[in-house]
Amino acid sequence: MIQPDPTLNVNLTRALEESRRLADSIKPGSDRWDVIVVGSGAAGGMAAFQLAMAGVKVLLLEAGRMIDVRTEYRTMEWPYASMRRNRLPPGERPIDVAEYAFLDRPYGSNPAFAKHKKVMSYAGNRFTRNWVVDERQHPTTGTPYAWVRSRILGGKTNFWGRGALRYGPLQFNAASRDGFDVDWPISYDDVKPYYDKVDVLLGCSGTTEGLDAVPDGVFQRPSKLNCVEVAFKRAIAKMGRHYIPGRAGVTTDGVLNNKYRARCAGRGRCGRGCDIQAAFHSPTALIYPARDSGNLTTRPYSIVSEVLLGEASNRASGVRVIDANTREVMDFKAPVVVLGAGALDTTRILLNSRSSAHPNGLGNSSGVLGCYLSEHIMGIRGSGFIPARIGTEATLDDGRPVAPYIPRFRNVTDRHPDFIRGYHFQGGGGCAEYPSMAHDIAGYGKAFKSSVRRYYPAIISFGGFGEVLPRKENRVTLDPVVKDAWGIPVLRFDYIFRDNELKMAKDMADSIEEMLIAAHAEDIKIEREPLPPGWSIHEIGTARMGDDPRTSVTDRFCRVHDAKNVYIADAAPFVCGGTQNTTWSILAMAWRTMDHLKEHLRAGDV
Amino acid sequence: MQRAAESAAGKLSRRAALRALGTGIGTVAALPWLSDEGLLAFARIQETNAAPQLKVLSASQFATLEVLVDAIIPTDDRSPGAKQARVADYIDLLLSEVDRELTLQWIGGLAALDAEAMSKFRAPFSRLGAGQVDAILQRISRNEKAPQTPLETFFVMAKQATIRGYYSSTIGIHEELRYKGNQFLREFVGCETEDGKDCPHCGQKHL
Repeated sequence: MIQPDPTLNVNLTRALEESRRLADSIKPGSDRWDVIVVGSGAAGGMAAFQLAMAGVKVLLLEAGRMIDVRTEYRTMEWPYASMRRNRLPPGERPIDVAEYAFLDRPYGSNPAFAKHKKVMSYAGNRFTRNWVVDERQHPTTGTPYAWVRSRILGGKTNFWGRGALRYGPLQFNAASRDGFDVDWPISYDDVKPYYDKVDVLLGCSGTTEGLDAVPDGVFQRPSKLNCVEVAFKRAIAKMGRHYIPGRAGVTTDGVLNNKYRARCAGRGRCGRGCDIQAAFHSPTALIYPARDSGNLTTRPYSIVSEVLLGEASNRASGVRVIDANTREVMDFKAPVVVLGAGALDTTRILLNSRSSAHPNGLGNSSGVLGCYLSEHIMGIRGSGFIPARIGTEATLDDGRPVAPYIPRFRNVTDRHPDFIRGYHFQGGGGCAEYPSMAHDIAGYGKAFKSSVRRYYPAIISFGGFGEVLPRKENRVTLDPVVKDAWGIPVLRFDYIFRDNELKMAKDMADSIEEMLIAAHAEDIKIEREPLPPGWSIHEIGTARMGDDPRTSVTDRFCRVHDAKNVYIADAAPFVCGGTQNTTWSILAMAWRTMDHLKEHLRAGDV
Repeated sequence: MQRAAESAAGKLSRRAALRALGTGIGTVAALPWLSDEGLLAFARIQETNAAPQLKVLSASQFATLEVLVDAIIPTDDRSPGAKQARVADYIDLLLSEVDRELTLQWIGGLAALDAEAMSKFRAPFSRLGAGQVDAILQRISRNEKAPQTPLETFFVMAKQATIRGYYSSTIGIHEELRYKGNQFLREFVGCETEDGKDCPHCGQKHL
C-alpha cells in the first residue's frame, strides 16, 4: 500500500533523553577535568580519544545533541519506501546552488525562505536533515560561502565523503617548489607515522601505487574498478595518467579493539551514514571507546562562545558555554583547552575571545587569525558514455565506499605555464540506483525507455578538486552586527576564487574533455563553471601554524602562541591543503598534537 | 497541510492555471478555443469527479496524467510502465507540497493537453487511442531542449517528473534497470579484468 511517508521521522527519543540527562547533570564544578575538548567530529573525537585512552580526564563539549547510532543512519532505505521518495518534508529545504551566489547574506533570513521552517546548507537532505544546522540560527555575512555545519555528536563525520587521502611532500614543502607563500613548519616525515597509525586504528581502504602526487598508506582491502572505469583507466594510461581505486576511510577488513564497528558490506550508501559503522564516524570509532575508558565526560548542547583567560594573560582558564536549550551561561574550567570545532568555528571562538590583553581575539597578536582561508575549487566536471558498455545488462557497479580517483598530474614533475599547484579528479561510473543520465535523453515512449537502459551501464562522470591558494586576503572576521541565535557574533567572509584558481579551473575542464575523448566516450558533457566557494567542505588555514609568532597563530604542535595551554585539533592550523580531502589529515594531525600534549601533561609543564 | 493544498487547488480558475503555465495573456491567446466559460465548465466537471484519495488533482486530471506518464514511459517487453509504477500518485503527492504557482502550472498543463486533444480529436486526452496520444506527444516534444510553447514546456516538466517517479519506484529500479546494488556483499567484484580474467560484461580482455 502506498503511504505518504512512513519512514520520514526517525525515533530520536533515546538520543534526546540522553542529551537532556547529560546536559542537566554536567555543570561547572560537577567534576574536575584535565582537558576540555571543544567539538566531537574528526578533530575533537580524535583529541578526546587520545587523551582519555591515556588516562587524562576529558570534558568533551558538543554544541548539538547526542546521536542514536541504532536509528539515525538509514543506509539501505530504498527510495520507494515512501511515495515521497527521497524528498525533504514540506517546509524544509536546502539552499540551492544558484541561490548561494544570488541571494543576499545571511541566507537564512532571505525572504526567499520566509515560508520554510528549516533552511539548510546544500548538504541538507532526507538523510542528514536531523544533523545539518538551520541557517537561520547560524547566519553568515560577507561574500557567498556554502558553509556546511552540523551540530550532532560526531559532526560531519556522520555523513562525510570518506575520501581518505594523505598530504605529502608536495603540500608540506609547496612553497619551496613554486615560491608561493611559505612551507609548513613541519614535513611529511613528521606526520607520516600518525597517518600510518590512523590507517591502522580506523581502517583505510586503498591500493599501493608509489605515486609522487599522493603518498600510500597502510591499506586494507581495496575497492575495484568496474567495467567503464577499466576502459577509462586504459585510455588515460596512454596519457601517463593514473585512475586508481578510491581511498576510503572505511574498514574493509575490520579493526581491532572496537566493538562498535563491523567491516564494510559493500552496500554503497555511505553518504547517509553507515549503519554497521564500517565507515569512520567519530561517535563509534572514537567517542564511545573513549567513554568506555571511564575518562571521558561528554556534554551535549554546549555551545562554546569563547576561551576564558586566567590570571596570566597567556593562559586560558577554561571556556564559556551557552546551553543550546536553556541558554544558561556556564564557565567550565580546566588546565588545558583543545579546540576542535572545525577550522572556521574554532577561528570564530578565538576571534570572539577578546580581552584587554587580546583585544582582537586570542591568538591574534600576529593579526593573521582568520586569514589564509583555503579549501578546494569544485564543480568542474564532465561525463560521457563508454562504448564497451552501451547496450549491455546491468552489473553491480557501486558496492563500495568511494568512486575511483585520478591523482594530481599537474605541477608534480612538470611546471604548468598558467598556474601553480594542482587538482585531482574523483568520480566513476556504471550502474547507480538512480539513472540521472535519463534526464538528458531525448524523446518519450518505448524508444526513450530503451535508450535509458541502453546507456545506463555506460555512464562515467567525474569532477575536480583544485587547491585554492592560501592568501592573506581570503579571510573571515567577526561581523560587527549580526549574531547567531545565541547572541554570538557570526563570521563575515571575504573570500573569492582568484586568478590562479580560475586558470586552474579552465585547465581542469580541458583535461576532462581530453580524457573523455581519449576514452572514445559518446555524448561528452563538460561543466566549466565552479560551484560556490565553500562547497568542498575542506576549509583550512584560518589559524595557521608557524615558528614565528609574528606571522602565525600556532606553533608547529598546533599550540596557540598567545596561550600556552590552548591547542587546536582541527584543520585551522594547516598551511596549505593540496588537492586532498581533509579529514584524514585532521585525524593524523590531531593525534600528533595530542601526543605532544600528553608529553607535557606527563612532565607537568603545560 | 493536506486540506490547505486541496482547497487551494479546488479554487483554481482554469484561466489562472493557464496563465501560470505560460506568460499570461499570451498563453491564453495561444489557446483561443478555450473560452472562459468553457474553462469554468470544464473545472466544474472535474470538481464533481474529484477522487477523495487524491491530494491535489481531480479524478479526471489524474486520468489525463496517468495516460500522459504512461505514454512517456510505457509498458514494454521488459517491464511495466509509469502508470503501473504509480507515477501519477507520486506527482499528485508532489503537487500537494510544492508552491501554488507550480501546482497551477501542472493543472494548466493538463487542461491545455485536454484542450489540444479536444481540438485535434474531439475527445479528452484520457480517451484518446494510442496513435492519437502519440500524435500529440510528437508535436509537443519537438523542442525539448528549448521549448517554445506552453504545451512544450509542460511536456518537459511532466517528462522530468515521470523520470524521477518511475526510476525511483520498485518497477523502475528492479524490473526495468535491474539495479543490483544496495545489498550485503562479501566482496565488490567490479570488472573481471581486475581479477585477471576476460570480462564477460564489457568484453574487455585481461592485459
